[in-house]
Amino acid sequence: MSSTQRDPFILDRPTGRRLTARDAILCIGITAALLIVLKGGSIRSTGEKMDPGLERTVVRAIGAPAGWLADRLPLADAVNSATSWLSPDKKLTGGAGAFDAPPAGAGAAAVSGATAPVTPDAFDPAALGEKPKLLPKLGTLLVTGDSLAQPLDAELARDLASKGVKTVRDAHLGTGISKTDLVDWGQLSALQVKQRKPDGVVMFMGANEGFPMPGPGGKLVQCCGPNWAAIYATRARKMMDTYRRGGAARVYWLTLPLPRDAARQKIARSVNAAILVAAQPFRSQVRVLDMTALFTPGGRYRAAMPISGRNTIVRRPDGIHLNDAGAHLAAIDVMARLRNDFQSLR
Amino acid sequence: MVFPTVQFAVFFTIVLTLSWALMPRQHIWKPFMLAASYLFYSAADPKFCILLAGVTLGNQAAAHLVHRTEDERLRKIIVGIAVALDLGTLGVFKYYGFFAEETNALLDDVGLGLPLPLASIALPVGISFIVFQAISYTVDVHRRLLPPAKTIDVGLYLSFFPHLVAGPIVRAREFLPQLESARDPRQVAVGAGVTLIVIGLVKKVAIADYLARSVVDPVFAVPQAYSAPDVVLATYAYAVQIFCDFSGYTDIAIGLALLMGFVFPQNFDRPYRALSFREFWRRWHITLSRFLRDFLYIPLGGNRHGKLRQARNLMITMVLGGLWHGAAWGFVLWGFIHGAALVIENLFRGRISPPAWLKWLLTFHLVVLAWIPFRAPDLTLAGDFISRLVHPGTPTLWKVPVVAVVLLVIGLQLAPSKPMDALRVRFERLHPAALAATMAVVIVFVTATVSSQGVPPFIYFQF
Repeated sequence: MSSTQRDPFILDRPTGRRLTARDAILCIGITAALLIVLKGGSIRSTGEKMDPGLERTVVRAIGAPAGWLADRLPLADAVNSATSWLSPDKKLTGGAGAFDAPPAGAGAAAVSGATAPVTPDAFDPAALGEKPKLLPKLGTLLVTGDSLAQPLDAELARDLASKGVKTVRDAHLGTGISKTDLVDWGQLSALQVKQRKPDGVVMFMGANEGFPMPGPGGKLVQCCGPNWAAIYATRARKMMDTYRRGGAARVYWLTLPLPRDAARQKIARSVNAAILVAAQPFRSQVRVLDMTALFTPGGRYRAAMPISGRNTIVRRPDGIHLNDAGAHLAAIDVMARLRNDFQSLR
Repeated sequence: MVFPTVQFAVFFTIVLTLSWALMPRQHIWKPFMLAASYLFYSAADPKFCILLAGVTLGNQAAAHLVHRTEDERLRKIIVGIAVALDLGTLGVFKYYGFFAEETNALLDDVGLGLPLPLASIALPVGISFIVFQAISYTVDVHRRLLPPAKTIDVGLYLSFFPHLVAGPIVRAREFLPQLESARDPRQVAVGAGVTLIVIGLVKKVAIADYLARSVVDPVFAVPQAYSAPDVVLATYAYAVQIFCDFSGYTDIAIGLALLMGFVFPQNFDRPYRALSFREFWRRWHITLSRFLRDFLYIPLGGNRHGKLRQARNLMITMVLGGLWHGAAWGFVLWGFIHGAALVIENLFRGRISPPAWLKWLLTFHLVVLAWIPFRAPDLTLAGDFISRLVHPGTPTLWKVPVVAVVLLVIGLQLAPSKPMDALRVRFERLHPAALAATMAVVIVFVTATVSSQGVPPFIYFQF
């Protein structure tokens, strides 16, 4: 370190010719025009996926005409097919298994108004005073959900690494059961099960809920009354049914610790009530882990709580997510439930 | 608002056009640019704007006061209070939680049940950069390197959106003179600006985010699940990721500023070709390095007063430089490693002279290894990660594109610069329409690599 060294500036190095401000604006303008023609549809869908606010309004105002223009030109399709191989994602909206796909079997019976019969799966053996049926080995654990699933997924993966368990961490940030534009969880859960065949599934999501969902007849139902909760529970139940793999797997669905914001608390309460209802037919295989009681007892938000006799911050500054210490606490709860269900972890 | 997003593209197109339209009328241009920068900052959280305004007004008041004061002792007291308030602001937002938890743990360990209140405080985006630039202004006025500027100029200096959230750390005496008169609309480095934006986008979105997704994030989160080949790959991949992420951000920031007629200092100069840690710090985050040099290392005594004092000054500078990145022991350890390496280099300088290839090999690998505590979520996991470096097993993450990208980025830093510079200059000389077409094509391909979860924030946003 020497004070005599000269501070380098970016234009000290050899550079191209200087142009005018008009050229700068022209350059950015042409780029913007080309992007509207080539990616107008993407701009439109980006705006639709954004959270409400000024930014969304502006992007939608530009995205609507940009998308309209792109739809009428053949370039956007050509660009999409030329670049689709670069995408790290699979298409996870509107396909088979999606929430809006026509229901089959028992689901169809429910939609048609017929009463679905209660099955033995609806009873937790422990509630009947019986010994729970142990599964022999936890080979693969899928930890999934939205941003809430992080860093819980890493905590569990670290705990289970030495026990020969393969932990698949598959969080989808910004997604929700009540919003299907980014990811349709009905479809995603089916794909996850098909690809991973997990013996256990830990689900922690709900940071991006509260969006209106189509109800019976296609009319949008606003959050957070009984009608909205019923649709949410139906969707969550479909996912639970997929994850339990006909009884071959165990599902650990974490309820939401109440967030700090009052408006979000309303959504969280509705989501938590829906999760409890959704799990009812599968009590023998789906465990609902009460994070509300653990982190926000009495329905009161707290950023810090005593852990091993020491007051510790457990929430992130956003008042929604758990921090590392909070996730560690949640992981302890999940691990205890896993040990109850899997012989290999005992 | 992250640079590589639709929102920012819309914002920048509008602001650039209006900026050049209003440029001749400085009395309108300055409030407009100030408002645009605050709008940009408010996208993170409007409440942070209050803090930004508070830091601006506080330092402006101190600068005027110190300028009017003749008594040297009083001048020192005033600037001392201003710097203390700046650092206090940084301390409350950035370090309070860490300090309170560590202090409580210590008090518990010695049986003193007097816990400090805990609070989960949101970290304002870019606060470290804002505070450092504010300090640079007040101290430069105190050192009589520049007179106090108009309040609106200081506001603009601290909030100018291209460098607001993650630098480069532009010194007041570099930026404020550029506000004295309207930027010349006939002398805009359009080619250089567009080239930097294109390179920055590729570095951030196509390289850094790809490596993070494919290798770095999974291995650093659960090192226990991986064996040596994957952990080794993740170590090199993180070195490449953080370089591409941070230098990509500053490339874009500098490029945007150039299009608006402003010139920023260079922040990176192929750091992984350094033959020593001393050289590394002249190539890596150059604007932080010179800030620490001018505002910490030299005031501590620098290389005066003998080798021992210099060693102490280097260690203090680097450890505090590490802590500047965040409230975690991993950053402290990273700073300590760099400080220790600089001290050892100083001790042996002139006594031994190993061949250049050996110097590069040692420097590069020590720098890469030092990134482990910097990246790991905590020191325990850093230890786990290091222990897995010698854990035999089969590779599961070694894919051709990943390895190729890592080798390419490191290789380009080692390659002779002349052919690359010549290529860059040829590109910069293209017609604006050709530059625009190239930028559009790059954006189309780069955005195709973005996952449905969007572009992750730049690593240095959290600092």
